[in-house]
Amino acid sequence: MLEQQLVNALSLGCVYALFALGFTLIFGVLGVINLSHGAVFMVGAYAALQVVTRFGWSLWASLLAALVVSAAVGLAIDYFVLRPLRKRNAPHLIPMIATIGLAIVFNNAAQGLFGAENLRFPSELVPDAQLHFLGVQISVLEVAIVVLSFALMATLFVVMRKTQLGRALRAIAESPKAAALLGINVEGLFYLTSATAAALGGVSGVLIALYSNAVFPLMGQPMLHKGIAVIILGGMGDIRGALIGGLFLGFAEVMSVAYIGSTMRDAVAFGLLFIVLLLRPQGMFGKVLERKA
Amino acid sequence: MEWFESFWQVYNNLILTIGVNALLALSIWLTLSCGLLAMANAAFMGIGAYTASILTMSAGAPFPLALAGGIAAPTLVALAIGGPTLRLSGVYLAMATLGFGEVVRVLILNAESITGGALGLNGIPQETQWWHVLLAVIVVLLILWRLRRSRIGRAFEAINEDAVAASLMGIAVNAHKMLAFALGAAIAGLAGALNAHLTFFIGPSEFGFDRGVDILTMTILGGTSGLTGPVLGALIITLLPELLRSFRDFRTMLNGAILVLIVLFLPKGLWDPKRLRSWFGRGAH
Amino acid sequence: MTSAAQFRTAALAAALAACGMTTIANAADIKLGAAEALSGPAGQYGQSIKNGFELAVEEINANGGVKGSKLVLQIEDEAGKKEQAIDVFKKLIFQDKVLMVFGPTLSNSAQAADPIAQAAKTVAFGTSNTADGITSIGDFVFRNSVTEADVLPETLRVSAKVAGIKKVAVLYGNDDVFTKSGYDAFKKALDDMKIPVTTTETFAKGDVDFKAQLTKIKASNPDAIVLSALIAEGAPIMVQARQLGINLPFIGGNGMNSVKIFDLAKDKSDNLWVGSPWALGSQTKENQHFVVAYTQKYKAAPDQFSAQAYDAMSIVAKAIMKIKITGNLETDRKSLRDALPTVTHTGATGAFQFRQAMTKDGKPAGYDAKQAAIVSVTKGGKYLIEK
Repeated sequence: MLEQQLVNALSLGCVYALFALGFTLIFGVLGVINLSHGAVFMVGAYAALQVVTRFGWSLWASLLAALVVSAAVGLAIDYFVLRPLRKRNAPHLIPMIATIGLAIVFNNAAQGLFGAENLRFPSELVPDAQLHFLGVQISVLEVAIVVLSFALMATLFVVMRKTQLGRALRAIAESPKAAALLGINVEGLFYLTSATAAALGGVSGVLIALYSNAVFPLMGQPMLHKGIAVIILGGMGDIRGALIGGLFLGFAEVMSVAYIGSTMRDAVAFGLLFIVLLLRPQGMFGKVLERKA
Repeated sequence: MEWFESFWQVYNNLILTIGVNALLALSIWLTLSCGLLAMANAAFMGIGAYTASILTMSAGAPFPLALAGGIAAPTLVALAIGGPTLRLSGVYLAMATLGFGEVVRVLILNAESITGGALGLNGIPQETQWWHVLLAVIVVLLILWRLRRSRIGRAFEAINEDAVAASLMGIAVNAHKMLAFALGAAIAGLAGALNAHLTFFIGPSEFGFDRGVDILTMTILGGTSGLTGPVLGALIITLLPELLRSFRDFRTMLNGAILVLIVLFLPKGLWDPKRLRSWFGRGAH
Repeated sequence: MTSAAQFRTAALAAALAACGMTTIANAADIKLGAAEALSGPAGQYGQSIKNGFELAVEEINANGGVKGSKLVLQIEDEAGKKEQAIDVFKKLIFQDKVLMVFGPTLSNSAQAADPIAQAAKTVAFGTSNTADGITSIGDFVFRNSVTEADVLPETLRVSAKVAGIKKVAVLYGNDDVFTKSGYDAFKKALDDMKIPVTTTETFAKGDVDFKAQLTKIKASNPDAIVLSALIAEGAPIMVQARQLGINLPFIGGNGMNSVKIFDLAKDKSDNLWVGSPWALGSQTKENQHFVVAYTQKYKAAPDQFSAQAYDAMSIVAKAIMKIKITGNLETDRKSLRDALPTVTHTGATGAFQFRQAMTKDGKPAGYDAKQAAIVSVTKGGKYLIEK
């Protein structure tokens, strides 16, 4: 059983990591905790579902649709809500509150438009194949999720560290004013970041909807709660932290189910979170941001 | 008089809920005035509600004692976790307190024998009278009003502006933050205890993220400049489902939209003395 | 016309109108209230219930109403929130002055709102409340929703016999009142029937991944898995179990009794046992009539919630038939309460009668449903009834 549980932990961890990547990217560059990321996640899943059921598109096409729609929503959120707040120099908590409101609007709009019950992707489209090796079982979809999260993390990391674009983004993260003075197109890069993070969220929405066989208006909320735990564990704003934090959380959850008892699962997960906050509040990879007198 | 009696019969629960929500909004206002976004007040409300209900139901305690327990328990918890948690600031504190809320919820779910777990506590005696709520609101308003005008209140403002500068000026920042945090917890616990004895039943799902968002919305909507704001916000948000009854499905959506619009266009909330003065005071110029 | 003639015509018209109004007053509408979750997460159940009520009211009024009077149902939204359930109950009872109130949808809301009705000596009739501690509130509280405690032992008995089940693993949602009380009922039934449990696992609402729990269950080698879940989690659980190579039967509680399982789990939905007082495939005359009428009116298949609401309305109508409406609200509400326990009815959910419950201190209280459960198993996208 242990080998299978390790595989389970890996795939669950990567599910969490996929969601957290977009979430942490926005915090890293914009300094905003975007609590509407769960809603964008949901929007991606519904967008993909709609094009598949209404227009009969293929799965790959629907992923593209999810990417485009979520990116557009993310961009709109940035332009109409986050940008005015940036211009006003609003303290960090204010945008967070605004994104809470946006999440409520989106979730309820989805419920009004599509109904509250669970929907699912047509079963012909869901890749169902299972792989067996070394006595463990993993589905093709899970493998895709694992591969994708590692690949995305690697790509984003390389972009941030080794490219001009990445250097510009890191400069903005340090100080938007200084970056602007250096001639960096700060607003443009903010838009890019919001759109990219949202696209990541939307695509992960589709993948997780396929994985869990469920599309419903509130699907982003539990993911958001886990996402918060992941970025705290891994360090807010750090790309590696999203993946490592996700794996850590997935591992902790699966192992506590397997060896302690599933009723204790959430208690263990949040207990760990609390301990990390007490001992090392910036998480594994985070930077300590506060000035000390 | 008969009109009033039938009005009261239909609406007394609603009015008392406004009072309870006012207490909750004020508790968040208190922590916000010190620069802390503590999203833990919903969890503190839950701790207060459960403590008070367990005291009345299992220990047969008289109501005042249950209320006292409902105030003391969350305060003690706040004092215990405040030390390490309040070292964090800004978004880190917000996230930590959100996480704390989830921890409390999970603990309540798992401590089945005491808290009834997912099934909640049912059959709580309906002890809360209208004057309990009124008295609580008045007392809390009085305390907060005096606090604002005192040295402690000014220290809060200084910390809110710039914590580092405040500490350089000799203000014991951590002690003040702890005071705001613990007092906020006490008020939230009182609200929880009163609410539990009003609605016969409490369950773990009522004190989580959604409740926290509701309370935050009330305070932000009403306005954070003074004490009137949170009370006004509580009034509007509590009445909104009743007023919007015809909107059906879109009521919750409206709640969310209000949050966004207020943040964007009325950053200090509805009750903003400066803005109101500038609107109405033109004649005086 | 001269002004005197005009005056006489007007007076005649007024007199006629007055007579007309008296006639209308004699056939005064009977006002019933309903507080259901029409929005929010429980909205889909509330909608089904609303549909069931409205279909029944339409049919009863088309057949001449109750003693010549039409039934008028006022439905208000309580959004699945207990505070709103309380407010809506108060509004219906004290402001709209209805004869009795149906609802609320969720058991939690009922626990908060039913005491209001009890204190106001008005009947509160739940059609979807299945938790403990509701009918024990008092003798004005009724429900026709059969509790899990009554259905699950029957489901276990039939499935164990037919599928030869000797030991089971249990999986349930521990953060939801419905699934938790389902688990409590299952646990008691398993104890009573002396069926050993190989392992007990839990999950939470909103979970998407159950493989950790399922892997552990598989390793413990049971003959079947007892599952207390709502469809939202239940369907992914069945799919993931089949994917992990677990081909055991699932024994489900009330939450799994919905045709949505076929839609959501497709070919992985076979071999699920559920018990319920109502089955879509039940061939009784009354159920067939209901299913056809519902599908025609709402263009969708009915579910358990609409079936129970539909029957509840007929039960109340029968009770009103037995009483004399005096026009004094207090008296009429009390007569209704006195007449209701004596009603028996065979509707879409089969033969029904009430059974009195006890308060916590053993005194007689409200009324539960006494109804036989139908046990079915899924096969090829349908529920097949087992005996």
